[in-house]
Amino acid sequence: MKFTFDKEWLQRHADSDQNLEIAAGSFSLDQLPPAMGELAASPQPGAFGRLINLSRRKRGWTIEDLVASARIDAGEAIRIEHDSSYIPGPRTVYQLSTALDLPRERMLQLSGNMLLRDRRLGEQAVKFAARSESVEKLSRQEHQALEEFVKYLNESR
Amino acid sequence: MSDQSVAYLKDHIKGQLVEAVLIDGVSSDDVERAEAAWQPFLVQELDKHRRTGNPEIRQLEHSHWDWRKKHRATEGLIAYRMFGVECDGEVQGLMLVSTAGHPCRIDDQKGKEQVYVDFVATAPWNSPMLVEAPRYGLVGRVLIATAVQLSLAEGFRGRIGLHALPQAETFYAQKCGMTDLGKDIKKQGLRYFEMTPVQAAGFLQ
Repeated sequence: MKFTFDKEWLQRHADSDQNLEIAAGSFSLDQLPPAMGELAASPQPGAFGRLINLSRRKRGWTIEDLVASARIDAGEAIRIEHDSSYIPGPRTVYQLSTALDLPRERMLQLSGNMLLRDRRLGEQAVKFAARSESVEKLSRQEHQALEEFVKYLNESR
Repeated sequence: MSDQSVAYLKDHIKGQLVEAVLIDGVSSDDVERAEAAWQPFLVQELDKHRRTGNPEIRQLEHSHWDWRKKHRATEGLIAYRMFGVECDGEVQGLMLVSTAGHPCRIDDQKGKEQVYVDFVATAPWNSPMLVEAPRYGLVGRVLIATAVQLSLAEGFRGRIGLHALPQAETFYAQKCGMTDLGKDIKKQGLRYFEMTPVQAAGFLQ
């Protein structure tokens, strides 16, 4: 089939289209074997939510700030932080990773969206979840736990 | 069998439009050529960002897509068409569409047939999420215009649908004028967009 593209039409939109990504389809989850279905198991239920909670509070952000920055639903943000059984979708995990500057692939594994290929991540997630009890203000202990876990996530990618 | 049409891309180095080719019916050789150039560039750029510890490390949400697999899986299937844009001897973008099995969801078009864009992406060197200075622009506009023209030719009046990756939502909502139907929990939570016949006419104007 022959297609036609008006040169003037393209010229008119050349500048405004600049710097915009165009990808559509699905996320890169090739590592997830079809037999496992849509989701793999989270290495440590609750660790993902705690990581989001502490990373948000470290920035001094409210839930509303996080929702605005990551462009996710407020209800989902609350569930992520408070419901350890909740597994957010890949889009939400990608958005949170970007907003909080956390490594995307590790976040997908931690959230249960991608198979855990690294046994140490599971161990580190357990350790992190155990150390980061919830209090309003980020305690020194929580701060240290968060710093160490984020450092591990970044080092091991 | 492939067919070729004249298209144009914006060469950002020259600052002007340059002639390109739209390939209807991308061959396995075309896909192989694209992947052979895209993947090494992608790996090199991602490594560069990691080494420099760029705090705003850029990643593509589709960095693991393998177009060879997509081509093999759909080759010979009448409902699927793969398109490519070539310029300067290299594949600058690829798109896989299907013409069956994805009825419209938007209220006033519900159930009607449309062209569904299964996958579309630009070459990594054209991606503003990966490189500071993309080489060619308008790849997305040319490919979406192709999907709309195919829809018109199929009698679907320009109706198209797709699931945008988060980095691309702005392009489909604001530049293509498509309707955002919200997150689709059956598709990884990606936002689903549709273009109506009226929007298709507006897009092509």
